[in-house]
Amino acid sequence: MSDSIIDLLVKGTWETIVMTFVSGFFGFLLGLPTGILLFLTRKNQILEQSVLNRTLSVLVNIFRSIPFIILIVWMIPFTRAIVGTSIGVSAALVPLSIGAAPFIARLVENSLLSLPSGLIEAARALGATPFQIVYKVLLPEALPSLINAASITLITLVGYSAMGGAVGAGGLGQVGYQYGYIGYDAVTMNSVLGLLVILVFLIQFAGDRLSKRFDHR
Amino acid sequence: MIELKNVTKTFHQKDRVVTALSDVSLRVPPGKIFGVIGTSGAGKSTLIRCVNLLERPTSGEIIVDGKALMQLSNAALALERREIGMIFQHFNLLSSRTVFENVAFPLELAGTSKSEIKTRVLELLELVGLAEKANDYPANLSGGQKQRVAIARTLANNPKVLLCDEATSALDPATTRSILNLLKDINKRLNITILLITHQMEVVKSICDEVAVISYGKLIEQGSVGEIFADPKHELTREFISSSLHIEVPSVYQEKLQKEDNGNLNPLLKLEMTGKSVNEPVISEVSRLFDTDFKIVSAQMDQAGEVNFGVMLIELSGKRENYNAAIQYFNSKHIKTEIIGYV
Repeated sequence: MSDSIIDLLVKGTWETIVMTFVSGFFGFLLGLPTGILLFLTRKNQILEQSVLNRTLSVLVNIFRSIPFIILIVWMIPFTRAIVGTSIGVSAALVPLSIGAAPFIARLVENSLLSLPSGLIEAARALGATPFQIVYKVLLPEALPSLINAASITLITLVGYSAMGGAVGAGGLGQVGYQYGYIGYDAVTMNSVLGLLVILVFLIQFAGDRLSKRFDHR
Repeated sequence: MIELKNVTKTFHQKDRVVTALSDVSLRVPPGKIFGVIGTSGAGKSTLIRCVNLLERPTSGEIIVDGKALMQLSNAALALERREIGMIFQHFNLLSSRTVFENVAFPLELAGTSKSEIKTRVLELLELVGLAEKANDYPANLSGGQKQRVAIARTLANNPKVLLCDEATSALDPATTRSILNLLKDINKRLNITILLITHQMEVVKSICDEVAVISYGKLIEQGSVGEIFADPKHELTREFISSSLHIEVPSVYQEKLQKEDNGNLNPLLKLEMTGKSVNEPVISEVSRLFDTDFKIVSAQMDQAGEVNFGVMLIELSGKRENYNAAIQYFNSKHIKTEIIGYV
């Protein structure tokens, strides 16, 4: 393997890592509050609000039903307005974050749903306000399962970012597509696959360790 | 201290309306322990949740320490709830926090300073006897220890009343007794009024001053524990009382028990003493009057309030022709007597 290919692979790996983690961060920034709101406004929850709940739920479902490759193209005008370009790593961050957010929202909602309902009841009986219930009860208690949700999201984003590579997003996806698929270079293509597998394994491993570390049940 | 006036709660389930509580009124005087007993599904959980408005009654009034809770805003209600402690059947401790941090939780909610939290939490853990467990997580505690942490947590705000939602139902008998003793101790030492719900008559018998029986969302009977045990009016109340007295025919007797007397067998009698029974040494009286002898096979006698009650299995022997008269004499002294067989 030539040095230039190795350089490409290193650069690609770095770009993939950046895209995955930065869009994961922005995805959580949008998805976490949405997921909490989805949970709190459900029937029989502390901020029951059926209209808001249904509206949010429909929005989340719409965004989740758009295939990611189409979302990238569909969002081009918006992406341009925000980052000034529709090509490259920073341009890919926009659809990646927007694509991940509704997915994260559902994962967060599910994490919160799996908490014993008695915890909220006890906190209410002790005089906690809804805000205190969220940041002193729900989030700390759901932390291990939220960390699991984060690993699932990041692994999905590794895949999404590779998909984005095919339409000019950079990263390992682009290397694999251009040099491997178009250039019929089996070694490069398989190296890209190997690197993606390693990345996914590392994320899963770190997620499992962290989740266990915070789990005192 | 706690007053419920004509509280009704209905739930809408699909297209039918379920009445969980109908027109429930009760008063818990300051410093007393009041028990509400009922079978599962009778509405007792809804009842206790209505007191701090975890469930909002459909109609009626809730007054705790002179404040009408139904009229309060959400923010005012959250503050008022800090004065109303509550413990639960399944403890509801925060698994992500240590014992110390769990007890500190309500103090954090109230914005207490760090140093103050520390002294108060250690003091509370001392009170419930768990000082050495401060840094353990709830997952490493036994059920009884978890309930002690929950008690310490709810006492942190210095509540005036304490609500206990089946607080001992998930615990074994020995642990139940120790938790009940702790509750009694808290009631006496800190002068906290306690309202508890339970399906175990033992709980009522051992710590309550007053009791109400709930059935299908209605309070069917209430009064001091002594009164209720002395003179239960409803069949359900009688069932609860007798369920707190476990008596079974020992298996040795069970094997040789005959339905009919063949002329030389001894009757096995079951005597039930309630508060109405005469407070006299009836058995030795009968023995003397009717020239009969008694062998006590099994017995459980207890005291609730001023009232002595219990149940006893005895084997009767002696002058056979006087057996019926003896049984009649027991009945005349309000000791319910039945022949369960012959041995």
